[in-house]
Amino acid sequence: MFWNDQAEAVTNAFTESQTKIWESWCALFRTVPSPMMPLCFGMDQWRELTSKGLQDWTAESEQVVKDVAQRLHVAQDTAMRFLELSLSAWKAMTPKVESGEDWQTMFANYSTKLREQLLLSPDGMARTAGDMAELWRLYLEEWQKLSQPWTESWRRASWHFGQAATGDGSALIKLTNLYWDAYERTFGRLMESPSLGHTRELNEQLLKGFDSWLDFRRASFEYQVVMSETWCRSFERFIGRMASLVEAGKPVQDVRQLLFLWLDVVDENFLAVFRSDEYIRMQGHLMNTAMTYRIHERDIVEAFLKISHVPSRSELDEAYRRIYELRKEVKELKSAFRQIQSKVA
Amino acid sequence: MTPFLTQMQPEEFTKQLVEFNRRVLKGIDSLARIRDEDFEVGFTPKEEISREDNVVLYRYLPLAERPSHIPILIAYALINRPYMVDLQENRSLVRNLLKLGMDVYLIDWGYPSRADRWLTLDDYINGYLESCVEAVRQRYGGEPINLLGICQGGTFSLSYASLNPKKIKNLITMVTPVDFHVREGMLNVWAGCTLAQPNLDVDRMVDAFGNIPGEYMNFGFLMLKPFQLGIRKYLELIDVVDDEEKLLNFLRMEKWIFDSPDQVGEAYRQFIKDFYQGNKFIKGEVKIGGRVIDLRKVNMPVLNIYAEEDHLVPPASSMALRRYVGTNDYTVRSFPVGHIGMYVSGKVQRDLPPTIADWLRERS
Repeated sequence: MFWNDQAEAVTNAFTESQTKIWESWCALFRTVPSPMMPLCFGMDQWRELTSKGLQDWTAESEQVVKDVAQRLHVAQDTAMRFLELSLSAWKAMTPKVESGEDWQTMFANYSTKLREQLLLSPDGMARTAGDMAELWRLYLEEWQKLSQPWTESWRRASWHFGQAATGDGSALIKLTNLYWDAYERTFGRLMESPSLGHTRELNEQLLKGFDSWLDFRRASFEYQVVMSETWCRSFERFIGRMASLVEAGKPVQDVRQLLFLWLDVVDENFLAVFRSDEYIRMQGHLMNTAMTYRIHERDIVEAFLKISHVPSRSELDEAYRRIYELRKEVKELKSAFRQIQSKVA
Repeated sequence: MTPFLTQMQPEEFTKQLVEFNRRVLKGIDSLARIRDEDFEVGFTPKEEISREDNVVLYRYLPLAERPSHIPILIAYALINRPYMVDLQENRSLVRNLLKLGMDVYLIDWGYPSRADRWLTLDDYINGYLESCVEAVRQRYGGEPINLLGICQGGTFSLSYASLNPKKIKNLITMVTPVDFHVREGMLNVWAGCTLAQPNLDVDRMVDAFGNIPGEYMNFGFLMLKPFQLGIRKYLELIDVVDDEEKLLNFLRMEKWIFDSPDQVGEAYRQFIKDFYQGNKFIKGEVKIGGRVIDLRKVNMPVLNIYAEEDHLVPPASSMALRRYVGTNDYTVRSFPVGHIGMYVSGKVQRDLPPTIADWLRERS
């Protein structure tokens, strides 16, 4: 049983946000000169070896066992990344704390850097913007006369880039909205007008597919911004919780306690976000745009199938519908027949 | 101020890290030694009574020396597989009911294919469920039977009982959603109980997917507690890698959790729109096969069982049933566990089967 790319992309949006935060954190803390650097390096090697060995290890096992082993490995990997982060931070901060510096201020600085790095990382804004820029470039070449609104959007974009660099996630959303506004004033409007020519139907489907793909990309990006922001807040709250425990004279005593405390805090924080109307709208928008894209994509594929004399999913579904209706009718007739039979008997 | 994070010494921290990883390796090693036959599920012997399309009605073979001839038909949810009621020998609702002399039947809804995407709630409730009820009734001389509906299967059972009150002698609902607008349930909120279509455009989803993929459903359930269910659970597994029995129990549960049939498109569409988004079930506005579901017509004795820590079907959602059913014989029982704990908690499996059996005996 396979499910389609769009649904997978939706689920990946969440997991990618996790990957991104780890990468950003690790990169951030590796910039800190620390005697723990060799350990960090060792962890990477260890992770790589375990990951490679895992497949051979469970090669003969049933799928459920393979899956559980894989999930165990992922859980362990996540835990190790977190511990690596904690250890690095701990090592980096302890000397400053011991010399009388204020660790809260220091942590606030870390947190700010994390936000900057995460929100402007190559895996975040830059990659998305890069794809989009390439798309716009290709389209603008073709549609030179419609390029005016884009010039305006790029001019205004610089301000939002600056704001985003301060760690304000909403700035990124505003920034991408500039693209969409401009897009809607050009190609979006174009799509509303009737197309001409013998490939009109296919062209129209291609354009609508592109349009819905952009909507989906935008929704994915906005979703990831919210997730990233939630990660940052979770880490801040975790540190706050740690500080409270220390102040209460109940500091964390072992690795297990540390891990589970962290998981509790992150879960609490994410669940609070998941319950918010803002998140629900965003998740719904992500799903709805993914589904719309899926429908348009199918239309495009089916247009090609039609040209190639190949039956399509829609045609098959229609056949299934008729079979279903006939099957239901047969059942009703059988039931009626049985009732008549029993009356006669 | 104490130095950052903990009062652990770095050396101790590193030592614990090494131990942690050693346990993970041991866990993977233990897992790799396990074979399919080590963690079978649904082991209680049963026979096939009838089959219609993908749906099979089973009867479990009696275990008591003197069975009491009290029939119970179990209707499980369309989500996940019904062998949860017979997951393992020492935690099997079915087995425990059999031991208490009950005559247990189970509906297996099967794995729907793309060809089934047009099936509606009418087909499930007035079609398959009706056929199964009739098959059991025939074995009991056409007398009304006892129906036990679990989770969504409970909602189906309530619907069926309201349409066919004379065919159901006693109705048991277990972890059954009734009021779908209880906001404590994240599932309710995400399915659109507050924002409806802007949150989940189910028409678009069904049009895009056809059937809703089981993997998608599963991802949604995991996201209700992403770190607990995605990470913490597996870290806790490390603690039991030396205990083969616990490891096998864990694997059985994993097998069940990720064994998710696709959801039939049309039935899913109606269930989300009418039940989750419209909350029409308690308003008496749901129509199945052109007939209105009126819970006031549920006039047979009802035993409603819910889990006090249920995060999928919040207690308030199940407990609402009392306000809407027409019966004068209404009993409610709860257990201090979560949704899944109702099937696998040792304590629940000790207390739940006699609760059901005693309640039925008093009304037989």
